[in-house]
Amino acid sequence: MQAVDGVDLDLFPGEIHALVGENGAGKSTLAAIAYGAVRPDAGTVEAIGTVGLVHQHFKLIERLRVWENVLLNREPRRGLAIDVEAARERVRRLGEEYGLRVDPDAVVETLPVGIKQRVELLRELDREPAVLLLDEPTASLAPGEIASFFGTIAGLAGRGTAILVVTHKLAEVIAYADRVTVMRAGAVVAHHRTSDTTAAEIAREMVGGEVPALAARAEVAPRALFEARGLSAQAGSSLIVDASFALGAGEIVGVAGIEGNGQSALADALAGVAPFTGTMTLAGTPLRSDEGPAARIARGIHVIPQDRRSEALVLDWNVRDNAVLGRQRQIPFARYGEAAREIIERFDVRPPDSDAIVGMLSGGNQQKIVVGRALAGAPVLVVAYQPTRGIDIGAAILVQSRLIEARNAGAGVLLISFELDEIFACADRVLVLAQGRIAGEFSRDGIDRGRIGSLMAGNA
Amino acid sequence: MTLRGFLRGRTFRDLAVVTVLVFGVGSVAMLLAHVSPIDGFGALFDGAFGTPEEFAETLVQTTNLLFPALGIAVAFRAGLFNIGAEGQLILGGFAAGWLGAAVPLPAFVALPMVLAAGALAGGIWGAIPGFLRARFAANEVIATLMLNVIAFLLATYLVNGPLALAGAGPSETPTLPHAAQLPDLLTGSRLTWAFVIALALALFLRWLLFRTIFGYELRAAGDAPEAAKRAGIDLGRTALVAMSISGAIAGLGGATIVSGELHRFNTGLSPGYGFIAIAVALVGSLDPLWIVAAAFAFGVLQSGGIAMQAEAGVPRDVVSLVTGLVIIALAGRRVVAARRTT
Repeated sequence: MQAVDGVDLDLFPGEIHALVGENGAGKSTLAAIAYGAVRPDAGTVEAIGTVGLVHQHFKLIERLRVWENVLLNREPRRGLAIDVEAARERVRRLGEEYGLRVDPDAVVETLPVGIKQRVELLRELDREPAVLLLDEPTASLAPGEIASFFGTIAGLAGRGTAILVVTHKLAEVIAYADRVTVMRAGAVVAHHRTSDTTAAEIAREMVGGEVPALAARAEVAPRALFEARGLSAQAGSSLIVDASFALGAGEIVGVAGIEGNGQSALADALAGVAPFTGTMTLAGTPLRSDEGPAARIARGIHVIPQDRRSEALVLDWNVRDNAVLGRQRQIPFARYGEAAREIIERFDVRPPDSDAIVGMLSGGNQQKIVVGRALAGAPVLVVAYQPTRGIDIGAAILVQSRLIEARNAGAGVLLISFELDEIFACADRVLVLAQGRIAGEFSRDGIDRGRIGSLMAGNA
Repeated sequence: MTLRGFLRGRTFRDLAVVTVLVFGVGSVAMLLAHVSPIDGFGALFDGAFGTPEEFAETLVQTTNLLFPALGIAVAFRAGLFNIGAEGQLILGGFAAGWLGAAVPLPAFVALPMVLAAGALAGGIWGAIPGFLRARFAANEVIATLMLNVIAFLLATYLVNGPLALAGAGPSETPTLPHAAQLPDLLTGSRLTWAFVIALALALFLRWLLFRTIFGYELRAAGDAPEAAKRAGIDLGRTALVAMSISGAIAGLGGATIVSGELHRFNTGLSPGYGFIAIAVALVGSLDPLWIVAAAFAFGVLQSGGIAMQAEAGVPRDVVSLVTGLVIIALAGRRVVAARRTT
């Protein structure tokens, strides 16, 4: 299969160039070719000087110090030993030079995400790359950090480095990049100067047509449905601490926050996978901490897990058997095919074949099955944890629309997302999660982007 | 499984591997023993199919492999690497032989009681590692492997010690009363109704695994445990139930050997059926119907191997060698894959 085909891309010293496209459009492949990790079948890649790459998911050794990570394999030596003093000094100077101050002796695992990214960046900068590739660099940054991050990047560009940012956040492209290249289905469909285009135009080019509209929100008067009081839980390293909030029937409550601030613990406590302390009540009935997922499903609580591939689907199975997972006891075995066909139809699953193996479907179509089955049995409470992660715009709009329709029909929806735009588009109320605590609450009319961003970053 | 899926899928690749191993490695081993592979395999197939009696013996071996292989398939489908079928089979055989010989049972219930005792004993022996897995997350591979040794020593101790019966040879029970013996299917052979029971069991398990909610949940727990857990499937309970069923089927197999072929329990009743059955289950893609075919193929090797040794002078160990290689080739890959995902 051809991931990219006949693509031209020029980067100039001193420019910030954005590369955008839907999942599977070929932007990661193109970046990998530019970096040299993938060899093109035809065509050439030329760079004057070296190429550096900063990964979306940091490739740092958590238990080592900052200088050890930055200078890994390039440590200054004195005889057989590492010259630690010189190494510290080099990292300190590098940080000052680029405005990326970090304590060289800090152990990486103790650092917040934004600082880890600085370390990742410093490691590449030490090699003085002529071209720097950044893969979704702002995925785990708070809004305030994003501005300062691009400030640093602009400074780098000012010194003559060519910068390629692979991203799906179009607002950032318009705000911070000089030029943008749009990819669709393995081909470049447009080049623009960002001053000559809009986010809406880029989105249309990515999709190859009009971006579908989100479902309309019906006027619903929310009724009391769910309440958490003093909720604390742990799932792996994720912690939620003393959280109290309410969620009404016919209401979408968005949980905004940067990844790693307690979202998994919250979702797992509701799913019945993690035990909790404090109280949770659904329609007046308390949830028991020791009851499992089966009891939660029986109460009408359906969770769309974050990782569809490992937490939601049996990848070797066909669409039919996956479409009933979670409701397998509520539907007679002979009706599984019927239940699957309903989801395929309502969610436009492609191919529309209940015998297709789920592992072979695109991420978007896999997610349609996961969301479809969560909404199929008239759920009372839906917990959607990153429901549009890594899926294309069309599928994302469809998923969000179905969540809004479930709300219109009287379900309570808890939308946990790392994408603020998604939360602002769908939610009736917004909770901000920072360091496992609920740091703020906003009604739809009172949304203050700046304030929410500041709370997400952990500022009171 | 459809034929198209079968040809595309792993099953076909597995069968190709097995064929190459059996005929390729088998030929090399025969050449090393200075025997022409044509003569060697000729003697093997002649020994397995030559006369009605020989063919009946092939079906006897098929039956003895089929029970533990079906049991193993149930556990494997639930994601549990049960390699304890040998021990479950031996204890099932002991329970059947002892009950039948020691307790005077009314004629019309003697046979069902004897078979049920075998299934119960095997089921308990399977439930132990299932419980350890469910309660303490103990690795079932190690637990079942060690319980094999314990089962053999326990049966040896019981039959010679506290539960020894008058009129029995060493490490044996006395002959079962006629009412507790499985009737012959073909007179003059060792082939009994056990063969029919095994085939019916394969059909039943095929239905249970692929056409019921119970089977659906069991397979979900095996194929995607995290997703299954979140879908409300109790992984611990599934492990306990699957291992109990698995052990019960192997135990029933032991009971049919005792009740049908030997008419008594003997500690040497199995030449390793429970181990060879791992290869049978894997070659059969853990699908009860394909397992019937795989059990027949291995039954041919087992019964033909004796003739091959007698007539062509090829050591019977060639069959063990080939079987062992099949287990390594098929099971090894699955263990590695399973360890990677957990």
